Amino acid sequence: MTGGITKDDFARMIAGAAALIRAQHVMLSQLDCAAGDGDHGTTMLRTVERLEKSFAPGSPEDLKTCLREAGWSVLGVDGGASSSLIGTFFSGMADAPSCGASMSAGDLAAIFEAGLAAVRKQTKAQPGDKTMMDALVPAIQALRIAADSGKSVPEALHDAAVAARAGAESTRNLIARYGRAKFLGEKTRGHPDPGATSMSLMFEGFSSEFGESKGESSNA
Amino acid sequence: MRMKKFINRPEDIVPELLEGFVLSHPNQVRLVGSHLVARAVPKAKGKVGVVTLGGSGHEPGLSGFVGEGMLDISVAGEIFAAPGAPRCLEAIRLAEYGAGVLFIVLNHAGDVLSANITMEMAKREGMNVKMTLTHEDIAGGPNPEDRRGLVGFLPVYKVAGAAAEQGGSLDTCLEIAERMGRNMRTLAVAVQTATHPSTGQAIFELGDDEMEIGMGQHGEAGTGRMKLKTADETAGIMLEMLLKDLDVKAGEDLLVILNGAGATTLMELFILFRRVDQILKAKGIKLVRSKVGEFITTQEQAGFQLLIARMDADLIRYWDAPSNAPYFVTR
Repeated sequence: MTGGITKDDFARMIAGAAALIRAQHVMLSQLDCAAGDGDHGTTMLRTVERLEKSFAPGSPEDLKTCLREAGWSVLGVDGGASSSLIGTFFSGMADAPSCGASMSAGDLAAIFEAGLAAVRKQTKAQPGDKTMMDALVPAIQALRIAADSGKSVPEALHDAAVAARAGAESTRNLIARYGRAKFLGEKTRGHPDPGATSMSLMFEGFSSEFGESKGESSNA
Repeated sequence: MRMKKFINRPEDIVPELLEGFVLSHPNQVRLVGSHLVARAVPKAKGKVGVVTLGGSGHEPGLSGFVGEGMLDISVAGEIFAAPGAPRCLEAIRLAEYGAGVLFIVLNHAGDVLSANITMEMAKREGMNVKMTLTHEDIAGGPNPEDRRGLVGFLPVYKVAGAAAEQGGSLDTCLEIAERMGRNMRTLAVAVQTATHPSTGQAIFELGDDEMEIGMGQHGEAGTGRMKLKTADETAGIMLEMLLKDLDVKAGEDLLVILNGAGATTLMELFILFRRVDQILKAKGIKLVRSKVGEFITTQEQAGFQLLIARMDADLIRYWDAPSNAPYFVTR
């Protein structure tokens, strides 16, 4: 690809994530039944609807403003910890200096890192605690490694999605140590964490949508 | 088992229940802004505002305690899920009457997260807000951070709300809330699960002949699963654990609250309460105030929460102060 990633590309990434969450929300709620109250799919559905709306035609052209408004809008989902953390993640991205009109893979990694830093200010959960962090942290690490090794944006997003998926899968054998599920202890073993699973779906969505469009043109 | 509830569309549960709640108590409460439950007549200028947040599905908690002498505004979230920071911030702005705002938060992961984000934003806007966390569930272990906030919100709303109504400063209201918080302990027991009203999902599994001591508000597992016991045995086990944790000595003054979880009847609560009273009398501990009923519920969950609190003269005075909150009327 010639130019960097733009706000419109970012809107397509969001649309890709929204499509996957929409297709899988019933599965997410079922996963949440194992250790939660079965509403995670609904919360995620409302989360991606708000994200999409924030990036819809007529939204601010400036990515920074758009991300900040998207984050605030997701906080307003009123869906407990998930929507608070995802909202914080998006508004945190807006704080990165590299958040701009045309971003390289390195810039993209930097804004995701800024989002993660904002999330870390709100939760002490680490990978291994059976939360969304099990998918988010490796995804962003993979994005950074790919960017630093000179990979394109679609390639870097692909690596992030693969890492997120592996991270989400790894939660299957973990015991929850955060949120409401921690009180269930051993009973949480055997099911992947719904928050990590939805985060991995988001990254797969970012990658799929972006890969199909720009991935091909980059070979031309 | 199929869920049998009188609801309409699942996504309308929260707005419809809030609407019905304020319509049924028009002289005390109304909806303001984005579905915030506020007093029908706002507090006078120059007094501290008192705000809380929490998921829905636990009625009359928490909005049932908005009223003169208690809360100014309650921010209700979705079913069993905390409201986000934007509406909390809106509530805090509305509850600023010129003397600052006390933000009372029950210790649950989602609520604390929203509250922390709200506090950051409020500070950025230069607002005068102080937050206090209630965490009195002894099933969480010795570390206060691991103790959930259960029915202990009730005495905290009551005493802090009274202090605010009487013109106490923000620091005074905070001190009273925290003094109440330090001196209270709760333990819950469940005998039957609830279903999530939007999803129809049972929130935990419990055998027909079992009970679980330490069960949280949302069916979070406790530590003591055992065969179902009698009222006297259950009250005895739980009260002993609470008295030990709070280190109550003969001659001290206690408040006792017995809160039904939703499907446990008043009949059972009175039988339990009678036993609590007998045990306290035998130990020479004075039961100075009490409240029995449903203050925070979880749908058709059966079980109860038992709270004990050590009271001093200030706390008793604030507990006795007038309130017109729909579910805590005191004259």
